[in-house]
Amino acid sequence: MRQPEEKVKTFANALLSAKSKVGQCKTCFHLSAESECEICRNDSRDREQICVVADSRDLLALERTREFKGLYHVLGGLISPMDGIGPEMLQITSLIKRVDKNSIQEVILALTPSVEGDTTSLYLAKLLKPFTKVSRIAYGLPVGSELEYADEVTLSRALEGRQNME
Amino acid sequence: MELTEKRLLVIGSNGIGKSNLLEAVELIGSLRTHRTGNDQDLIKWGEKRALLKAIANDSECLEIELRRKGGRQVRRNEKILGRQLDLIGPLRCVCFSSRDLDLVRGEPSLRRNWLDKVVQQLEPIYCDLMSRYSKLMRQRNQLWHHCRFCSAQEKNDLLDAFDIQMALVSTRIHRRRSRALRHLQPLAANWQETLSGGKEKLEFEYCPGSKLEGEEAEEPWRLSIQQQLLEQREDEERLGICRIGPHRDEVKFLLDGAPARRFGSAGQQRTILLALKLAELELLGQVYGEPPLLLLDDVLAELDPNRQLLLLEAVGTDHQCLVTATHLQAFEGDWQRYSQIIEADSFQLN
Repeated sequence: MRQPEEKVKTFANALLSAKSKVGQCKTCFHLSAESECEICRNDSRDREQICVVADSRDLLALERTREFKGLYHVLGGLISPMDGIGPEMLQITSLIKRVDKNSIQEVILALTPSVEGDTTSLYLAKLLKPFTKVSRIAYGLPVGSELEYADEVTLSRALEGRQNME
Repeated sequence: MELTEKRLLVIGSNGIGKSNLLEAVELIGSLRTHRTGNDQDLIKWGEKRALLKAIANDSECLEIELRRKGGRQVRRNEKILGRQLDLIGPLRCVCFSSRDLDLVRGEPSLRRNWLDKVVQQLEPIYCDLMSRYSKLMRQRNQLWHHCRFCSAQEKNDLLDAFDIQMALVSTRIHRRRSRALRHLQPLAANWQETLSGGKEKLEFEYCPGSKLEGEEAEEPWRLSIQQQLLEQREDEERLGICRIGPHRDEVKFLLDGAPARRFGSAGQQRTILLALKLAELELLGQVYGEPPLLLLDDVLAELDPNRQLLLLEAVGTDHQCLVTATHLQAFEGDWQRYSQIIEADSFQLN
């Protein structure tokens, strides 16, 4: 209430324009003001890898790592019959088409390790396998944590996702 | 309330709040109570929240705050715990209440619940498995309704995705349940022999809800359960129930080879119950090197004088006991010795 009216107006307009301008990228369905997002337009990115995430927040978290140089695909949720969300409500058909049309070498599934996340991963893996290599990110111990203090749930997940030593 | 003796006898008429006190101890010790699975039922009518606080072993301060909105908050030594599981430990307890009297003769779900509580105390990770399994079941059941709108191919692909997870979680639940029973069986058999004066031989028979053939091993069992789920898919579509999995498990108690549920007398069934509880107490004590708390809720009066004395003898003075009854006369012989007695009528248990 104490803010000058001008300032409040600018803020409200910014919100309104964000709402009206920000839409979805036509290729990966990430939030974007343009018809195609910055990542999809960036030529220096590896166009043979697609990382699948549930929503844009997960994409941003992965981007902050600066580790992944490929492209993304945002599903817009996870399969959850209890919430009435089936595959047809997610960007799954578009993903299959994208993988089929372009020469994609690998699809990396980066979904949370919940019942819904695992169901979606398993379902996608089955659909994608005829087209390309499918992998999923590993779940396990956070960096810097001592084995002794890790809880059993995390430890057993880390064991499941163990990797061969080369 | 301060406990000064090994045994606390709470005496009071019905509805005064005796069981509430024991339930509070059980909740803070094991995160669940034998009466209800719903936190809302534990908060006083008309109140927004309930606070439980216990000081265990003179130093550990354990707290659970139940709220109408926003779920539970769990604190240990004033630090908020991210995972409720981390509260388990300082106050392990075995609860024996009048509600348990149906354990031997009642529905199989009663025996599954009993076994789950034991396994959960032995392996806290079991909580995670059980909540995952119940989530999988609920999602899968909803899927059948959802499926009416999707193609046969899509339906089968989705069911496959659920079945892979169900098979893995089921295998782990079956293995943990059967392992816990293997540990409990010799202890329970021993108690049964003692309680029956050497006359009765008690055995457990674990009847898993999935066919588990061959050696106990995760991989073959998992693959076999996945196959069984696939094979019953048509039946499931028709009947609307999934007939494979730990939710169909049964534990049979055999007395000299005959199922006690059908052939045991009322007295024998009570002896079995007592033997089970004592075995549970003994096993937890062995595993953690510390005798757990024993909560006897309104149950002592249900046992005849002989069994009361045997229970007293078995419990000895190792275990701290909290006992409720409506009147002091319910306690036989030495139960009242070395005991702190509280007449609940004379003060407010609020």
